[in-house]
Amino acid sequence: MPSRAPDCPAVKGFIETSFVDWKGHMSSVLFLGGCNFRCPFCHNRDLVLGPGGFEDIPLEYVVATFRKYKHWVDKVVVTGGEPTIHQDLFGFIGILKNEGMSIRLDTNGSNPAVVRGLVNDGLIDCIAMDVKGPLDRYPRWCGCDVDVGTVRESIEFIMGSGIDYHFRMTVVPFLHQEQDVYTVAEELAGAKDLVIQTFRPDITLNPAYEHVKPFSPDKMDQIKGNVADIMSGKGRKQAKNLHLDDLDSKNRL
Amino acid sequence: METTDLNLFVRTSEENISGWNRSRIVDALIRETLIDRDTAEEISKEVEQMIRRSGIEMITAPLIRELVNARLIEKGLESARKMHTRLGMPIYDVDSLILHPNKENANVPHGPEATNLTLAENIKKEYALLSVFSQEVADAHMNGDIHLHDLGFVDRPYCSGQSLEYIKKFGLDLPHSLSMAKPAKHAEVLLAHLVKFAAALQSHFAGAIGWDAINIFFAPYIEGMSDNDVKQLAQMLIFEFSQQAVARGGQAIFTDINIYWEIPKHFVNVPAIGPNGKFTGKTYGEYEKEAQRFAWKLFEVYKEGDGAGRPFFFPKPIVHITEKFFHTDGHMDFLYHISDVASDKGNTYYVFDRGETAKISECCRLSFKLEEADLLDAKEPWRMRYCALQNVSLNLPRLAYLAKNDDTKLMNLITDRFVIAVKAHKEKRVFMEKLLALGENGPLALLTMNRDGMPYLRFNLASHLIGMVGLNEMVQIHTGEEMHASKRALKFGLKVIAHMKLLTDKMRRQENMKIVLEQTPAESTSYRFARLDLRYFSPHAGRVMKGDIASGEVYYTNSTHLNVKHAMNPIERVTTEGLFHPLIEAGSISHVWLGEAQPSKEAIADFVIKTFKHTTNDQIAFSPEFTTCNKCHRTARGLADTCSYCGSADVDGITRITGYFTKVSSWNKGKRGELKDRYRNVEFFSPESPKAVAND
Repeated sequence: MPSRAPDCPAVKGFIETSFVDWKGHMSSVLFLGGCNFRCPFCHNRDLVLGPGGFEDIPLEYVVATFRKYKHWVDKVVVTGGEPTIHQDLFGFIGILKNEGMSIRLDTNGSNPAVVRGLVNDGLIDCIAMDVKGPLDRYPRWCGCDVDVGTVRESIEFIMGSGIDYHFRMTVVPFLHQEQDVYTVAEELAGAKDLVIQTFRPDITLNPAYEHVKPFSPDKMDQIKGNVADIMSGKGRKQAKNLHLDDLDSKNRL
Repeated sequence: METTDLNLFVRTSEENISGWNRSRIVDALIRETLIDRDTAEEISKEVEQMIRRSGIEMITAPLIRELVNARLIEKGLESARKMHTRLGMPIYDVDSLILHPNKENANVPHGPEATNLTLAENIKKEYALLSVFSQEVADAHMNGDIHLHDLGFVDRPYCSGQSLEYIKKFGLDLPHSLSMAKPAKHAEVLLAHLVKFAAALQSHFAGAIGWDAINIFFAPYIEGMSDNDVKQLAQMLIFEFSQQAVARGGQAIFTDINIYWEIPKHFVNVPAIGPNGKFTGKTYGEYEKEAQRFAWKLFEVYKEGDGAGRPFFFPKPIVHITEKFFHTDGHMDFLYHISDVASDKGNTYYVFDRGETAKISECCRLSFKLEEADLLDAKEPWRMRYCALQNVSLNLPRLAYLAKNDDTKLMNLITDRFVIAVKAHKEKRVFMEKLLALGENGPLALLTMNRDGMPYLRFNLASHLIGMVGLNEMVQIHTGEEMHASKRALKFGLKVIAHMKLLTDKMRRQENMKIVLEQTPAESTSYRFARLDLRYFSPHAGRVMKGDIASGEVYYTNSTHLNVKHAMNPIERVTTEGLFHPLIEAGSISHVWLGEAQPSKEAIADFVIKTFKHTTNDQIAFSPEFTTCNKCHRTARGLADTCSYCGSADVDGITRITGYFTKVSSWNKGKRGELKDRYRNVEFFSPESPKAVAND
């Protein structure tokens, strides 16, 4: 048992076994408290605004659980809040890594130096970065003043880092225009993928958003389809035309 | 009409009062009871006098009968009164029954056929309790010490496992049917025979009809068919079964189909039967590819769901995972394929046949381990017809109220109740023997038909199930902790089930009856026990009761399951619940409630493999939740108040109730209470988040 590093970030939530967080795998999920963003649609309100209200889950418990289930789960997602705001994230992730776990870091990209450091030290195996909206109006999406340069830097670094990654965007009606989603997709041109997530109004950081109705599943499917076309290099509308042309040419043959 | 005329021997009206015939009372008493003629005469005179004196202008036959019964009681002739009693329902009850849906069993829709079923069931229930079972057993049922399942179907066996081979070999030749069909030549015809036969069986069994190795037995008919045709066949099979809600009481046929990717060892060298009921000259081992093709297509259909994208409720696909599965080509692809269905629609059941055991699943969670004699049967698979005659569950929490923390007393009480359950089985067995003895002219003609040197229902092999409800609450009352809360509590729970297993083995030898433990699905029983215990054991019962007492949505935790609400690692759940499974021969299950979450197929497949390898769990299923819209006929993930596509509030929630999917609106209150509690593997910020170190 590693002795607990004195400054390790406190674990505020622990899903021991999740089927959904790391696509394609069973994983554990660790939630760290606090965040430097104030996205109005955030569904981890209490974790962001009042992490002190949650009891700390001892790292010893986390490690013991990993050992207990080592034949079952060998992956862990470190999420938040925003994990990179914690000074001692390196030591923390190091302890997890020592247990033989593969690690995915969830981040908002505001601390490119931390992300770069973790990758360069070989501490993480996968990164999931939330892109909140088109880069030109970033404070609007994040609910606070944000240096978009850091976000841009993170995106560029992640794409060139050589490790597995996902970009994700939560689509929030009224906050986002449909076009905003496509703008993000275009800004991420060349990236492996952009996962489009449906906004959930259950609990939101800004309570007004609890009355926002998410787009219908049909609309979301359409958006996802268009995003996939953009990401794969075909333009959205062009893509459709191309598709039709393909069919036509086949029919002619 | 005969019976009606006989019972309603008086239809009194002003004109008929002069035609009143007192001797009808005497005749009935002599015919139906064991009292002597003089007493009968005396009673009839007293009743006559009373009716005369009252000056009433109209009297009905049932009222006269009750007046006679009142006299019998006055004379202390209680046993004669019982024999002379009338079965039926108050008009108020019939009225509400016809107008309002039945919530005891969510598989019964609301309609005239369903009403007929319920009315008939009610009378048969009363009949069973008065006439089939002894007073001791009947009382134990009435006061909720035990539950005799499906009493309304007392004149049928409980559930059964069937073999398609029987229909392939003998065609569809049912007693008293209007036409006889020779063995099928084409796959489609075989399918039609299968569905017809299943419907016929449904009217002879109370519960589930399971079909063994369906994809393997269809294989010889599939040879040479195109992939499209196989898909079409798979579609027909699933739709035919899922749309059979036009049969008995408007109920869907509760069907399971057992599916194998590999050809299990006990079928590899078995000669295959093909078109026209003839042996094809090949063994089933040689049909592996065809069997796999069919299995694959069946799951393609499950994945698509019905016309509104909803999961199919029936037939339930049960996939057997054996050691050989992992050595069979393409098994990972198939595992991903069925796990995709599990994640998306929830249909897939994974049954783990570890080591050398072979099993057939029959009912919600009833599966039979094939014994040596059965393996001989496997060489002539049309013989593989199994049944359980009855299912009796024990109310475990009640015993803990009574035992007052005394271990010895508790174990003794379990033994007492177990003995009553066995008594109930013996009584049912005698009754069934009587019905079956009437042969092809009796009510169960279908089950006595003899096409292969033995009756269709192999009575000597019939099982008797004993189940349990609320082990978790029993342990909670007795030890002060629920089973998930401490090692000590869990160990005590295991001790209780081990004791029941020991009793099973002893009684089996002593009574020479195949008594087996099973995890009762207890769709309505856990609610019934909970309500009765709240009545008789408050305030104590209120402290351990699950659900919400204020709204009446109360329940005991099913069988040996752990608290469904407790935020628990699914690994821990399948592992811990799996500790009980080897003790429960007739089959067990663990549920992973998914809620809205849609895991990737890889994650589910990984979990399934590890459950097979690292636990003793018998069977697992994953249960997503859906909201289906009655307006736009589309189905979305999760339980919601409105349709996420069109916004309509005319929606139905759908998820697994016990062993099958159904609409939530049809659930009884206890089950709805449980649904609210189910831990769906998402909440993690629980106030009692673990502080201690997990390692032992």
